[in-house]
Amino acid sequence: MDRNRKILVAILAVVAFSAVLAVIDISLTMQERVRGGPSLELPRTGPGVGIVRIEGPIDFSESASPFGIMSGAESVIRKLDALYRNPDIRAIVVRINSPGGTVGATQEIYQKIAALRKKNVIIVASMGEIAASGGYYVASACSKIVANQGTLTGSIGVIIMSPNLRQLFEKLGITMTVIKSGKYKDILSTFREMTSEERELIQELIDSSYRKFVSDVALGRNMNKDEIMPYADGRIMTGEKALECKLTDMVGTFEDAVNEARKMAKLPDDSAVYDEVKSPFQQFLFSMEGMFRGGNMMERSFKLDSYSILQYRYQP
Amino acid sequence: MNLDSFRSMQWVDYLMYALTDPGALYRLLQRKKESAQLAVSFLVPVTVLFLDIIASSLLRTETDFFYTKLTYGWLLSIFITLFTVTAAASLMDGFAQILGYRGNMKEMVVLVNFSQMPKALLLPGMLIFRTLHFAAPFFYVFLSFLFVIWSAFIAVKGIAEMHDCGPGRALLIYLFPFLFAGITAFFVLVVSALYLARYLS
Repeated sequence: MDRNRKILVAILAVVAFSAVLAVIDISLTMQERVRGGPSLELPRTGPGVGIVRIEGPIDFSESASPFGIMSGAESVIRKLDALYRNPDIRAIVVRINSPGGTVGATQEIYQKIAALRKKNVIIVASMGEIAASGGYYVASACSKIVANQGTLTGSIGVIIMSPNLRQLFEKLGITMTVIKSGKYKDILSTFREMTSEERELIQELIDSSYRKFVSDVALGRNMNKDEIMPYADGRIMTGEKALECKLTDMVGTFEDAVNEARKMAKLPDDSAVYDEVKSPFQQFLFSMEGMFRGGNMMERSFKLDSYSILQYRYQP
Repeated sequence: MNLDSFRSMQWVDYLMYALTDPGALYRLLQRKKESAQLAVSFLVPVTVLFLDIIASSLLRTETDFFYTKLTYGWLLSIFITLFTVTAAASLMDGFAQILGYRGNMKEMVVLVNFSQMPKALLLPGMLIFRTLHFAAPFFYVFLSFLFVIWSAFIAVKGIAEMHDCGPGRALLIYLFPFLFAGITAFFVLVVSALYLARYLS
């Protein structure tokens, strides 16, 4: 083997040796990280607090996140049921990060929490970035509400929206032929102006859902309706302001809510927390999914062939 | 390339010439028309890819997710690398034929593969700066840039030898895939913009 070949073989040997060293370096870094990180913590068992998360708009559509975490009103109800049946769960924290949602879905979650509360289950609401309108409605069913100082909450009210595209269709030369069994059958049609009778009818629906909202909040919060009415005009407020208005019970973080639930259930400070979302990255994906679901819902509500939905929702 | 030729260490010549004399590399490829030459040449970009993944792993804050994705990503990266090299060599060969040179797809692919050789030196270089804790990310980018230029130099010299042309024409042939990709992307962008403008109006 001549000299040049020997030199090149030496270079290749250096490259191979570097690769081995680099792999060892990476492995050691990983081991160090794992040793210091939370993943080597032994799984905790025994009595503890269960977490249910409501992320994004509340509706009945069910979807699974990349980590198999289901969202949607029915899956929230199933989770609450599962936690209630689990003998290790002594208290539940409902983590809410939602601008509200459809009236039906919101009421179902509210009723479920209220039913569990009647069975003396301790349920604490923890508000994230936003827990407005339907998000607040759900929280009001809980035994205690913990909100961050900057949480956006309140927005007590009902909304329904329908775009009026009549002038656009006139421009495009599109007309719609409607044959209906009754005069209100195409109420909220996007192809024509709303009549005053239709407006009255829709307003009745809105008022009825609004009255239900206010009475349920009063029931859940153990307050008089008159105490709530001054703030029940759709206004949004911070967690701090909501505490002043007695719409929440304390200002605090998610951890504070968990600790409060432990205290109420007379659990030790280091008792287990049973949460589907186990890492910040999972939480990030879960939040992203909530955002996408929000986008889909907006898209649906603006589709011409869809129907408008009554919503307990903060809609800026 | 059988076991005997492997033991004879003649294969080292391919790599050595790739680094020291790309013209001689092409002459060697022509002289030794071995059947496995093409397949074996793909080992160079694949090895370079592995070394590059390891080098970049030294830089970042590793997470479980990163490693999981990397495990699956290796296979995908190999396919992407093999496809890119073959596509680039095909475009170079096609353009050379347009310029009136003899087409030789197989030799072009082998040449492009061997021209990747300097990039294998990125890892040892990186390891030094990582061990010294001295501006490792900067030197990763700097050395990558340096080795890309070296790699291009080898390919251009090889193409010049292959088609017996000047370095300017060889450079033009070498750059054609990049120009082609750039021009295609530009026209796709223009057409998309026109389509969008029409849709919005």
